[in-house]
Amino acid sequence: MTHAVLCEDLWKTYQRHRPLGVKSLLLGADPPRDTRFAREWALSELGFQVPRGRSFGVIGPNGSGKTTLLSILLGTVKEDRGRVSLSGRVASLLELGAGFHGDLTGRENVFLYGSILGMRLAEIRRRFENIAEFSELERAIEQPLRTYSAGMIARLGFSIIIHSAADILLIDEVLAVGDASFQAKCHRALREFRARSGTLVIVSHNMKEVTEVCDEGICLDLGRVVDAGPMGGVAARYQERMAAAESGKIKASAHADR
Amino acid sequence: MPTVKRSPRQFAEFLYLLARQELKARYKGRFLGYVWALAYTFALAFVYWIAFKIIMRLDMPNYSVYLIAGMFPWAWLSVGVTSATRSFVVNAPLIKEMGLAHAILPLSNVVQEMVHFILALPAVIAWVVLAGGYDAAVSWLWQIPLMLALQVAFVYPLALAFALINVHVRDTEPLLGIGFPLLFFATPMVYPISIVPEPLHQYFELNPFHALMESWRSLFMAGALDLPHIAYAAGFALAAGAVTWLLYRKLAPRVGELV
Repeated sequence: MTHAVLCEDLWKTYQRHRPLGVKSLLLGADPPRDTRFAREWALSELGFQVPRGRSFGVIGPNGSGKTTLLSILLGTVKEDRGRVSLSGRVASLLELGAGFHGDLTGRENVFLYGSILGMRLAEIRRRFENIAEFSELERAIEQPLRTYSAGMIARLGFSIIIHSAADILLIDEVLAVGDASFQAKCHRALREFRARSGTLVIVSHNMKEVTEVCDEGICLDLGRVVDAGPMGGVAARYQERMAAAESGKIKASAHADR
Repeated sequence: MPTVKRSPRQFAEFLYLLARQELKARYKGRFLGYVWALAYTFALAFVYWIAFKIIMRLDMPNYSVYLIAGMFPWAWLSVGVTSATRSFVVNAPLIKEMGLAHAILPLSNVVQEMVHFILALPAVIAWVVLAGGYDAAVSWLWQIPLMLALQVAFVYPLALAFALINVHVRDTEPLLGIGFPLLFFATPMVYPISIVPEPLHQYFELNPFHALMESWRSLFMAGALDLPHIAYAAGFALAAGAVTWLLYRKLAPRVGELV
């Protein structure tokens, strides 16, 4: 198995009916008005492969299906058609602080999150010093998480997954956090991860960062792959399309004003 | 498709961490936390005792023991199921990181409540022996673990089933809030089955919750395993397990997106 991540002909729809409740019957269910989110297929005909040890970026405008794709890769959401296959241990950082518990200390959260990721307690104990050191939280690691800033939570989360001995990392926009030196540290850690044949799949809106970190990638729009290839090219073409769309909008509204 | 692969040992460790987290929160003040946790059920039993023994003049010897012996297992059952029902919805961000709507969450609720029950046992036994004058039985050493296992097998399928249903029909939570008190009074908990008119006994005996609770009372008050009732409760547990398994196969894959 040479590919760490494999997606074939993936289709996903979110069914129209929302969870039932007396409240929605009384108040009336509100269908999403935004056309991007109201389309029938959240993802259509999606396919890509990521060889082991490669770094893969997923970019695209809001509502294009990037988070849906990551959820399917992780297994939280089930695809309607197609095949998804990941080989190896998976660790994910999809939402900041998800899986963290405010009343527990940083240390206790490391154990809890590590366990969520599938690590054994002995493994977590062995790696704890490294995790704590990398996060630069120092004594705050013994404080309850609700006293942390968003940046501290992000640093802790990133530190845990980078030390999790996973083969595949799925990251949703929490790429590198903290100040410039910490960000550099994160990028170094990701490079070392790739050198160990770790595979990365990253969703990002930061074109500069995703180009630096990823070898290749895809661009999604309205649930379809509209571009694929080396990351630099995909990102550049995406930025051109966005710029053209913006200036198109500006021209159109200028016309309307006249 | 679950991408987080867990060995049974890892599953057990994860369960331990989840349960320990809740227990730390519940018993925050160490001893006082323990007292308060017990106090609620004892206080409730006291209220029923006043209402039925004193005011309504229910004629039953050792009524307080009858109450206590049933209400602690009942508390485990009802709190276990109602907290498990919420567990997917309340832990939505956690489920999104876990890779699968893990059946572990309702299990941790059931296990938590079992731990509270076990911690309450010394107080329950003290009441049975001191207030009721019953003998402490050595046989409890193996009978109690047996009953613990039975109750877990009985309660967990219900907990998981309602957790799954609640994701689709959010009213399940408040409905259970009404359902459990109703069930409590429909089951001989604050009255012995003997005061129910003879022709109706068969209907009360059909109630699997009665079988379970009666088994606990038989254990504490007679030091014996009530085999017919235990067999009935075990049969219900198996049936509930089968139904929940089917429900799980149908509903579990969509929990991650609906939650």
